[in-house]
Amino acid sequence: MNLFLELRKHGKLAEKRHPMYEKGKFGKFWMYFMGIFWAGYLIFFGTLFAFAFDGGAKEAYHVMNSGLIFVLALDFLLRLPFLKTPTQEVKPYLLLPIKRNRLIDFLLLRSALSSFNLLWLFLFVPFAIITVTKFYGIWGVFTYCVGIWLLILFNNYWYLLCRTLMDERIWWFLLPVAVYGGIAAALFLPDKSPLFAWSIDLGEGFITGDWLTFAGMLVAIAVMCLINRSIMQKLVYNELNKLEDTTVQVKRVSEYKFLDRYGEIGEYIRLELKLLLRNKVCRKSLYSITALVLILSLTISFSDIYDGGMRDFFMLYNYIIFGILFLSPLMSYEGNYIDGLMSRKESIYALLRAKYILYSLALIIPFALMIPGMITGKVSALMCTAWLLFIPGAVYCCMFQLAVYNNKTLDLNTKISSRQNVGTGMQNLISGAAFGVPLLLFFVLKTVFGKETAPWILIGIGIAFIATSKWWLRNVYCRFMKRRYKNLEGFHDSRQK
Amino acid sequence: MIEINRLQKNFGKKRAVDIEGYVIEQGDMLGLVGNNGAGKTTLFRLMLDLLQADRGNVTINGIDVCKSEDWKQFTGAFIDDGFLIDYLTPEEYFYFIGKMYGLKKEEVDERLLPFERFMNHEVIGQKKFIRNFSAGNKQKIGIISAMLHHPQLLILDEPFNFLDPSSQSIIKHLLKKYNEEHHATILISSHNLNHTVDICPRIALLENGTIIRDIQNENNSAEKELEDYFNARVEEEIEEEERTETETATEAEGIAETDAATESAESPCAATRAEEPVAQESAAQTDKNGKEA
Repeated sequence: MNLFLELRKHGKLAEKRHPMYEKGKFGKFWMYFMGIFWAGYLIFFGTLFAFAFDGGAKEAYHVMNSGLIFVLALDFLLRLPFLKTPTQEVKPYLLLPIKRNRLIDFLLLRSALSSFNLLWLFLFVPFAIITVTKFYGIWGVFTYCVGIWLLILFNNYWYLLCRTLMDERIWWFLLPVAVYGGIAAALFLPDKSPLFAWSIDLGEGFITGDWLTFAGMLVAIAVMCLINRSIMQKLVYNELNKLEDTTVQVKRVSEYKFLDRYGEIGEYIRLELKLLLRNKVCRKSLYSITALVLILSLTISFSDIYDGGMRDFFMLYNYIIFGILFLSPLMSYEGNYIDGLMSRKESIYALLRAKYILYSLALIIPFALMIPGMITGKVSALMCTAWLLFIPGAVYCCMFQLAVYNNKTLDLNTKISSRQNVGTGMQNLISGAAFGVPLLLFFVLKTVFGKETAPWILIGIGIAFIATSKWWLRNVYCRFMKRRYKNLEGFHDSRQK
Repeated sequence: MIEINRLQKNFGKKRAVDIEGYVIEQGDMLGLVGNNGAGKTTLFRLMLDLLQADRGNVTINGIDVCKSEDWKQFTGAFIDDGFLIDYLTPEEYFYFIGKMYGLKKEEVDERLLPFERFMNHEVIGQKKFIRNFSAGNKQKIGIISAMLHHPQLLILDEPFNFLDPSSQSIIKHLLKKYNEEHHATILISSHNLNHTVDICPRIALLENGTIIRDIQNENNSAEKELEDYFNARVEEEIEEEERTETETATEAEGIAETDAATESAESPCAATRAEEPVAQESAAQTDKNGKEA
């Protein structure tokens, strides 16, 4: 047990003593704020559901229990940005006289006892107090909540399994997609799905304190835990070997020779392309976002799903997502080799200009993908052109301000299971604004000047910012240089050793 | 070439660098030596404007490094991996650096020729990204990239680290030759006294952020002085430790004897019983001291 307490202590100290912990005050505030917000949100919905589901043909808790699978799916999604797997955490302890299995067991136990697993109780406790007490008393509420907690524990281990596998090969993301897709098909394709009935029975088993249900749940958790354990055991070796691998050879080295004629800027564009395509984190983001933009463009062009206000939203999303993804962490990837860049005159300015040119040109992709939509008449060519010019103008100007303030190095090849590349508060704020403000502006312009004039105003604003881009990029560079010591310190502190 | 004026840098309460004044002339080859934490890397970072000084400044050819970037044009440096863009192959990295200084690919290739023996066929043409090279080869890539544009000022932090003995010997030769041929100023820091003494005619000894000795090294004359300094320090520390241990043990024995005497005055049989725990306590104390040391 001592080892467990030590590991728990180390986990907490690792977060508390991280050099960036004190620096990310806004991020910390945001984290606590969101925590309280979610707790309040869930309590609100727990109470709301209790009254909303009451008085129907079924008891309220039956209605709620029929949707337990959706709760698990949502829980899975919520875990993605927050939780890490124990595979990488075991490394510092591997050479100590501690059995590896015991180590993994304790880390798995620690993950089970994580307070994150209690989050859903904010929804279920108020709900159960209102709906279950009248039939089964406080004991019913207690057993129901324990059952829900066990269910979330099972989901925790299922998530860990998927995440560990996805970390090894990205294609493992198909496993949760297949499972949840299969469940969705089983729920909605038959007229009367037995899965709903099973879900209701499971919930009722919890409420009535049925020992068979609990025993079944415990067995399921144990099985999932054992699967995790055996997979993690194997992956520990992979993890260690990969770090020391000096034998990896590149099959084909891309040159992008056409960029030779653009001098220093061309060289930095080449560097940016290599950054995007040769590093796991950037490459994954690029591929997944391109796929998403493609799907959205096709959906907008050939279906009626996004008719109405949603179409404007998704059209803007298509244009802006590249910028948000690669410009909100501006300079953070470069934090890995910032010393080298800083020891050459004005290299940061050249880099900023190269990034601006590249990501502005990248907007031609969503524009081109929208052409079928223009032909089918779903979107107007004028509106597409307006976003094509407004985003690299006004929106990118705002996003490039982040180059001055970002000072957290993001690992380029971090494994999903390792420390997270989570954005700072400022990045989240500007990314949010980059999304919301243009949409809001468009609606205001549309209301004030009409549907025909609004795009022209956006085009005008966009061209003005594009034309002055050299000037405002120089301004960003000068402010970056003024803050350089603070930023360099941040980049060094947050660099993964 | 380099002037350090009243330079100070603190990390919390610890003074990492505190140099009142120091001048390095054009063409000097200076070795910076000192124990861990003496401030060698911090001094280099201050010279390269990668850290903000709390007081004072560094000028290179009369340019205050924190006020203008012009000195970067004729300066080359390699401190650690943070200088390398590790998702490039070594060739790509060299061409990239070359381009930053206006060198064509052919020129870069030509400038790489003198490093062929140093690279030992393990760097060029490997079809590997820098991140997949061993620490020694990364070190080679870093050193070469710092010298590629023929800088007038070359700063290398621990250049012999991670290198095999042959490569250490080659880089010593290359640095000496570079200094002579280009009349360039070279600053290197190292824990390897032999190498430093072999190639540096001038050696600055750093202790707690201060340059305590500026040694002219002719025909390895500095070797003895440096060895004496580092050995004396170790011996002093060991002596001090031993003295503390003896004092603690004597004190503990004294206390035990006083206690035993008091107890034996009260009861004649108590003296024998009293010796045991005191001896244990004294042993425990020594053990603790030993561990702490």
